[in-house]
Formats: sequence, structure tokens, C-alpha cells
Amino acid sequence: MSCVEVREHLPEYSMGVLPEHEIAAVERHLAWCAGCRKEAAEFGSAAATFAFALEPAAVPRGLADRVVARVRQVAGTSGTARRTRATAALAVAAMVTVAALGWGAAMAGRAEKFADQAALAEARRAAALQQFDRVLNEIKQLVPSVTLSQDETHLGRLAPTAGRAGGGAVLQLVSPTLLDFAIVLVNGLPRGDVAAMPYRVTLENAAGDVLKVGRISELDANGGADVYRQYEEQDLSGYTKVLVRDASGDVVLSGTVDQSG
Amino acid sequence: MSSRIGGPLVAREEQKLVEGLLAGNEDAVRALYARFARPIFTLGLRLLGSAEAAEELTQDVFLTAWRKAARFDPSRGRLSTWLMTIAHNLAVDRLRRETGVTRPHLVLMDELPEIPSSDEEEPLMERDAAMHAIESLSDAEKRLLARVYFGGLTAREISEADGVPLGTVKTRLRTALIKVRRANQDKERP
Repeated sequence: MSCVEVREHLPEYSMGVLPEHEIAAVERHLAWCAGCRKEAAEFGSAAATFAFALEPAAVPRGLADRVVARVRQVAGTSGTARRTRATAALAVAAMVTVAALGWGAAMAGRAEKFADQAALAEARRAAALQQFDRVLNEIKQLVPSVTLSQDETHLGRLAPTAGRAGGGAVLQLVSPTLLDFAIVLVNGLPRGDVAAMPYRVTLENAAGDVLKVGRISELDANGGADVYRQYEEQDLSGYTKVLVRDASGDVVLSGTVDQSG
Repeated sequence: MSSRIGGPLVAREEQKLVEGLLAGNEDAVRALYARFARPIFTLGLRLLGSAEAAEELTQDVFLTAWRKAARFDPSRGRLSTWLMTIAHNLAVDRLRRETGVTRPHLVLMDELPEIPSSDEEEPLMERDAAMHAIESLSDAEKRLLARVYFGGLTAREISEADGVPLGTVKTRLRTALIKVRRANQDKERP
């Protein structure tokens, strides 16, 4: 789709009534076109105005407590262990920083499906990995109350298997004092391949033991997503192999975390 | 987690609230709830047609916001827009699933049912700005946008129903949204 065609569809896209087959085409365009993405965001804001203009209804009593309880449950903050809170704070800092660094835009996984752009994709993945490295430095500023050794954080990157598209990166915390966690970010997975979802992300060690990181059941406009898991009792030492499998169990992305440094 | 009452959140406050949400910070979740639960619930009631469905939607919106929080970028849009877009998309997705059609059959209610009294609600600051923006539209434009946003009609369906060329309907939709966008920009933070 050209910009002219996409912009013709943006009003309906922004108001949630564009037919499915056209949504996919529009989102493929928005993934790389900043101008149309800006207009889509502005129309989205205009559309949301209608929701705010409704005569407000009274919210049921007690809903606030139910919302808070559910968010705290999924966020894993129902416990009071200091270690847990510290780890969560670190992960939050990492993910917020990742977002601020424009991680999604940097990944460029889409390029990998073109053989002649493989070198470009590789260079961009390397750049993205460097950005991830900056996360580690910024964590210390964002969460000054937590002492984090550079030796406790490890990076890895994900590459597509033969015939697959996409890429990704992994950040692990392997710490003797904090709960270990893994953050896996992917990008460039095919949005149109609904049958491939959900993707499952796992860690493996040399003995073949497998740990779940999470499931990906939704991709953003860049074919990207992130999963995070904090391990209450599991030491991630040795779990250096990272695999992303599609719904049929085929590995689509794989990589290794360097825990040596 | 503090946020000023009586004025829009600035980008830094929005970012802090979202960071708090991501961390499961109770104060942050309650602050977001106090500001946005009511319009989210109202939208759910309007689109889904029952208080039960609206409550489920409200909970789902906050959970989805938590899952997507790391990707929220205040430089690309307001927190209010982000949350209401999540709410509208979830409501439309739910209607699509339940009706099994490619476009939603949204419920357009003339009167909203009475719900028992609420708790922890703050005045809806965004509503004044929204009403101001809506006032910039002609009655025909208001009806057109309502048929799309609340009625779930596509431009083609409106074209066929009204006997108006498709291109004309699309142009009118675009023009109306641009008017709202301009009115919103007048109220935007510097």
C-alpha cells in the first residue's frame, strides 16, 4: 500500500472498523512509515475523544480493589520479600529503558527475510544489542537503591532459523542476592501468520532441562513483543540457550546468552 | 504516587504512572484507576451493553495496559488516548469474537442503565476537553463519527445506506477527525 492508500484507510483504522484484511496491510505500512504512523496516532487520539465525551456512568463499588488485586497478582508484587521487590524494580527499569531507547524501531527483524539485506540486519541487531547494553548502565541510575553488579547481567541475541524471519535479544539477571529473571524481546515475526501463535519462549541448559519464559500471543505493528519472567526458586546459571517456538513447536528464533562475562 | 487533580497529566507524570503500573505499585494503579476507570467503564457499557461486561472490560484494560506498559511512549501520544484505544480495541475484539463476524455489531444505547454508587472516582478532566472538541463538529459530522465509533459501521456501509458515494463518506470522516484533532491540539501540553 502507498501512503495515499493508507491515509485513505486511517480514519476507519483509527476507529476500529477497518476490515481485517485491510488492517494487516495498513499495519505493515505503519511499521516502517513514520509519517503515516504519526497521522494514525493523531486520528487515534481524535477517536478516543468520543469515548471521553460520553455521559459518565457510575462505576460499581469495589471495582477499584478488584482491578488493583488483579494487576498486582500478574505483576508478581503480592509478596513482600525485599528481594522480590528489588528484582521487580530492576526489571521495570530495564523494560522502561528499553522502551525509551526505541528498541522496537532498532531491531529491524523484517530485513532478515531478504538474503541481500542479511548483512544490514546483522548490523542493526548488533546496534540494538549495544542499546540493550546501555540499559544496564541506566538501571543503576533508575534504581539506585539496588546494587547491581555488571557480572550478574548477561545478554544474548536471537536469530531466525532457516526460512524464518525476525530477531530478538535476551537480558538475564543471574544473581546470588536477587531473584533471577529473563527478559526476551522479539521483533519482525510475521503478524499475518495467526496459526503460528502463540509463540513459546524457553531457556535450556546443557543437560536439556527447560524453563519457561513466557508465551507470545500478540504482536505489535513491528511484529514485536516482549516476555518477562522472574524465577522465585530457580537459578538461571547454565540456562544459556534461548528458543522461540511457534504453535506447532517449530523453532523460529534461537540464540545463546553469554553468561561468562 | 501523586498526580495533580484538576489538570491534565504532564508527560513525566504519565511516564511515572505507567512505570508504577508495570511494577504493580498499588498507588500507581489506584491513581490510574481514579482517572480513567470511569470513562473506560462507560465506554464498555455503551459498546457491550451490560454492567457485567463493562466491568470485565475495565479489568482487562488495566491488565492489557500492564502487559504493554514497557512500550508506552509519552512522546507519541497521551496516556488517556493510549488507554481508551486499548479499551475500544478490546471491546471491538470481544464483539467480533462473540458475534463471529468480521465487523462488530456495536450496541448503541439511548439510555445507560443505573449502576449502584461508585467509589474512588475523580472528576473526569478529559471530558471537558472532549466536549470542546466535539463542539467543533457539525451535527452531521457528530452523527457520522458516532455511527462509526459507536455503531461499528464502515464507510462502505454508510455509503450504501445513505446513497452517498464512498469517496464522499471517507472524505467527510477524515475531515471530521481532522477537526477533532485540531481541537485536541489546541488543548495539548506545550
